[in-house]
Amino acid sequence: MSRGRKQAKQKITWKEVKRQKVLLIWSALFVIYGFIFYYLPLGGWIMAFQNYKPRDGLLHSKFIGLDKFKFLFGDASFIRVIRNTLAMGTINLVTSFIMAILFAILLNEVRWVLGKKMVQTISYLPHFLSWIIVTGILHDALSSTGIVNEVLMNLGIIDKQINFFAHEGYFWPIVAFSNLWKETGWNAIIYLAAITAIDPSLYEAASIDGAGRWAKIKYITLPGIKPTIIILLLMNVGNVLNAGFEVQYLLGNGLVQKVSQTIDIYVLNWGISQNDYSLGTAAGIFKSAVSIFLIVIANRIAKHSGEESLF
Amino acid sequence: MKRKKSVSDWIFVICNTIFMVAFVIITLYPVLNTLAISFNDGIDAVRGGIHLIPRKFTWQNYYTVLHKQNMITGAYITVLRTIIGTLLALVTNALLAFIVSRKRFLFKSQLSLFWVITMYVNGGLIPVFLLYKNLHLTGTFWVYVVPGAVSAFNMLVLRTYMIGLPDSLEESAQLDGAGYMTIFVKIISPLCKPVYATVALFVAVGQWNSWFDAMLYNRMSDKYTTLQYELMKLLSSVMQQSGSADSMRNSSNSITPASIRAAATIATMLPIVCLYPFLQRYFVTGLTIGGVKE
Amino acid sequence: MKCKKLTALLLTAAMTASVLVGCGGTQESTSTGGSEPAETPGGGQNETAESSDGGSKDIIDFTMFIAMPGSEINDGNEIQEIIAQKTGVRVKETWLTGQTAAEAVGTIIAGGEYPDFIDGGDGQMALYDAGALVAWDDYLDKYPNLKEMYSDEEWDRFRQADGKIYWANIFQNTYGETKATTHNDEAFWIQAKVLAWDNYPKIETLDQYFDLLERYAAANPTMEDGTEVIPYTILCEDWRYFCIENAGQFLDGYPNDGSVIVNTDTMKIEDYNTSETTHEYFQKLNEEYQKGMVDHEFATQTYDEYIAKLSTGRVLGMCDQWWDFAFTVNDVFKQQGLDLQGCNYVPLGLTIEEGMDNMWHTYGDTQNVANGVAITTSCKDVDAAFKFLNDILDQEIHDLRFWGIEGVDYLVDDEGLYYRTEDMRMQCANTEYKASHLCVYSYLPQYLGTSRDGKNAMQVPEQTSEFFSGLAQPLVDCFNAYGVTTYVEMIGSVNKETGPWFPMYSYSNNMTTETPGGVAWAKMGEIKHEWLPKVVMSDSFDTTWEQYMKAYEECSPQDFLSEMQEELDRRAGQ
Repeated sequence: MSRGRKQAKQKITWKEVKRQKVLLIWSALFVIYGFIFYYLPLGGWIMAFQNYKPRDGLLHSKFIGLDKFKFLFGDASFIRVIRNTLAMGTINLVTSFIMAILFAILLNEVRWVLGKKMVQTISYLPHFLSWIIVTGILHDALSSTGIVNEVLMNLGIIDKQINFFAHEGYFWPIVAFSNLWKETGWNAIIYLAAITAIDPSLYEAASIDGAGRWAKIKYITLPGIKPTIIILLLMNVGNVLNAGFEVQYLLGNGLVQKVSQTIDIYVLNWGISQNDYSLGTAAGIFKSAVSIFLIVIANRIAKHSGEESLF
Repeated sequence: MKRKKSVSDWIFVICNTIFMVAFVIITLYPVLNTLAISFNDGIDAVRGGIHLIPRKFTWQNYYTVLHKQNMITGAYITVLRTIIGTLLALVTNALLAFIVSRKRFLFKSQLSLFWVITMYVNGGLIPVFLLYKNLHLTGTFWVYVVPGAVSAFNMLVLRTYMIGLPDSLEESAQLDGAGYMTIFVKIISPLCKPVYATVALFVAVGQWNSWFDAMLYNRMSDKYTTLQYELMKLLSSVMQQSGSADSMRNSSNSITPASIRAAATIATMLPIVCLYPFLQRYFVTGLTIGGVKE
Repeated sequence: MKCKKLTALLLTAAMTASVLVGCGGTQESTSTGGSEPAETPGGGQNETAESSDGGSKDIIDFTMFIAMPGSEINDGNEIQEIIAQKTGVRVKETWLTGQTAAEAVGTIIAGGEYPDFIDGGDGQMALYDAGALVAWDDYLDKYPNLKEMYSDEEWDRFRQADGKIYWANIFQNTYGETKATTHNDEAFWIQAKVLAWDNYPKIETLDQYFDLLERYAAANPTMEDGTEVIPYTILCEDWRYFCIENAGQFLDGYPNDGSVIVNTDTMKIEDYNTSETTHEYFQKLNEEYQKGMVDHEFATQTYDEYIAKLSTGRVLGMCDQWWDFAFTVNDVFKQQGLDLQGCNYVPLGLTIEEGMDNMWHTYGDTQNVANGVAITTSCKDVDAAFKFLNDILDQEIHDLRFWGIEGVDYLVDDEGLYYRTEDMRMQCANTEYKASHLCVYSYLPQYLGTSRDGKNAMQVPEQTSEFFSGLAQPLVDCFNAYGVTTYVEMIGSVNKETGPWFPMYSYSNNMTTETPGGVAWAKMGEIKHEWLPKVVMSDSFDTTWEQYMKAYEECSPQDFLSEMQEELDRRAGQ
């Protein structure tokens, strides 16, 4: 587990280059491919500094400098949607992480193989449902006559039905729940695969030592999948600003729009549906900058504590 | 491997079983609900209130979905792109992951960073469209598989797994005179089955479900249409995200009923779900590669 | 070992497949079946493709993109083929899917290759800006049917900044006498049974309307099957929030200019959001909400939930546009037999005070100049395209499009009137039949009103016999009781001609954030989405209204109004 340390020092020598010829050639091909398909389109970022008109195209649209950025950061509602996006992104990140890992570990503890396979297959089915279906069902369940209110009423927890979608306070948890509902099983797959790589003899040895289930999870399973956890965490930290669009759009309404609108919805309202492509690009650049900043920091922290790192 | 269970083990098993049962019920519900609606008469379903059992049973929705024109072409192209796209992505991502997971590789940090950045930047719809057009990818099948052949996410998942394999494997093979490609094909890849299966699943599902590229790059022709795009067309009137009163006013026909949407969902979900058992053995059974860890 | 075999199998399959696809790029692969037009990468133009299947000679295949969602018809559609034989042109329509119109049009412009015909919807101006459209001026005189669609004055309204005509909106264009029977607009709707219960009273004002709902709900708190009734509900979802938003203009007796009121005495733009009537209207809604008359979940319901509620027959009344609910809801009523219980909705032309004229119904055509069918610069044969637009307005083709084939989709009685049997009606409502048999070309030029034979309606829903055959008994009773025969007469709007500026929404819909007015307009929309439900649900109406007005003023609506005023002056001056 201490591989973070020794990799730092590697001199580029001619001998080493020759030894790695194959690797270098292949990586050059990958760099060319990556450059063409991922970096070349970034030329489009120039749009953010133009008053882009389809008629004039990228080359001839009028240059307007930082106007679009000024518009964004001068607008109080943009600041608000950043807050919403960050909040929902973080809540989703944390909850979906914990749930997926928990689910994978607990599923791994199920000894009945057929049952295990069945549970896993079922768990990832909601991934194939569209958001419109999932939010439709959720709306149904949370309506005043829905199952949630019914259960709460019968248990005597509340004495009057709650209109969950009318209160700003419930919105973020509802979004987090719908994400969990739809994606937990799917997200767990990667951890399940990582668990299979753990040497079964470790468990056997632990059993002989008299370790209980909890001990085995704590000292064998979790450390075994730690590299995967760290890598996914690092990647997802960069995604907190991509909290989505569809869920919020489908679950939101006028009463909660102050907390429901994300950057993507803002871009749709103020950019795309106004025929303004530049604004969306500007917001995209902002998101990319924040993402890269976040992962560089996170990566540095990971590296410093001797953990797995992205680069 | 274990004989007697302690009390705490029993408590664990019971709690775990309860958790799993609850989990299954909660996740199965939306699927069963969709299934019930898909078998329900479209007009009747408008009233809502269908949970697990169709109120007015009919096959009509499936009939409508399966009789949509171009479904055969769409299915053919979708299967094709799923197979080709998955194989291609698996090979390229695995190779790239192999390269950056070599300890001695000179530029592993730089190359990783180069790819990590691609996850967070995006030139936008129009520049990408222009690029594909200039590469003559638009209007072809290859626009489905070539642009996504390498993805940083899949590469990193593979890399993490490969880094976890013992270095001794590579070293001893090199002593035997094996080149990097031999090590990749003969030594590393066989050990990576679980993670290959995982990535294959991710890519295959992604390919199977995507329709946006078909719409964007092959809009005016049916030749390379995909299953999901055909279904999206069928559903587009309900999916409509920003509508305008003017277009609705004049469309004078009722919207595509939710029951057709449900039938379309189930119909496209089934084939890809059937792929799952084949891959599942690699990451559920949990006794594949003993003894390779250091 | 098994997996090795599987992999090998997959590989072989993939390789075979890739060979097939590889070939498909250059040659016309016939494996996809059907007669498909030769296509070129990128979509757009296809070279004059005489795909010589079926012996059809010299048929030009055009493509058309419509930036609205819609349903595709099959290749080889029967009526499409007949029209192709008669006119020599076949048009393949592609609809908007999963994108906004502006996005779709933006990508098409960036690609630089257009379909032959296009209706850009909200992105129409971008197409004009990009120089993608062919001007109609040189062609119009050559094609009498097309020219006849509008009067010179009406054509002039389509002129763009450069003084030329690039498109024509094809909707709401009446030929001859109007045949309208349904009120395809906004109204306060009420179930026929509620009116019947009170012996068909005269309901003219908002107060009378809610008074009746209250009394009915008190006397009949549940339906026959025990479901609790909802006296009134309001849809506020997303762009459909007009159901709560714009009643103020109508209650004041103005027509649907959409975003503003045009005061015809002073020729000034007025803002209905801040008018006394709108204030009163919301106060009334608030009062009713407090009394429990208004659906408590109105503010959070989705469109699906709203339609589901209406479909059960529980909702006694609401304010909405006919097209927003009627097609779906009436189908369900019919299936469930609720139409016989009098659940169908009839429109009431309410005003704020008694004795005012109402203009809920617009008699004349509403000419929306913002978008319509256009021919692009990529079109391979512009003359043929115009000729086709002209040909499909021939009565024979028009009948084929909107009525179908005689003897199959409709019959003709002794007096020459077209009618459909119940079986034909069912068949024509069937999705597969629509795709394989009917070809409406719904975004190409068309007429409402009276056929050139002077008897029939141009389109089926307007045929008098078709209208009455679908009418349930309680509706007939209701109409009889009020001495009317149609929905239009029921709402009783005055037949007053609208000015040349009407409707003003065709301008505000196209505003963008480039102008201060556009910014204000977008902000006003956002504020209203948030505050209007709050105002209705508020415990202390006056305070909340003040807060709303304060938030509203912060959007500087004046910027918006003055831009609307400029446009009004421009339109009125023309």
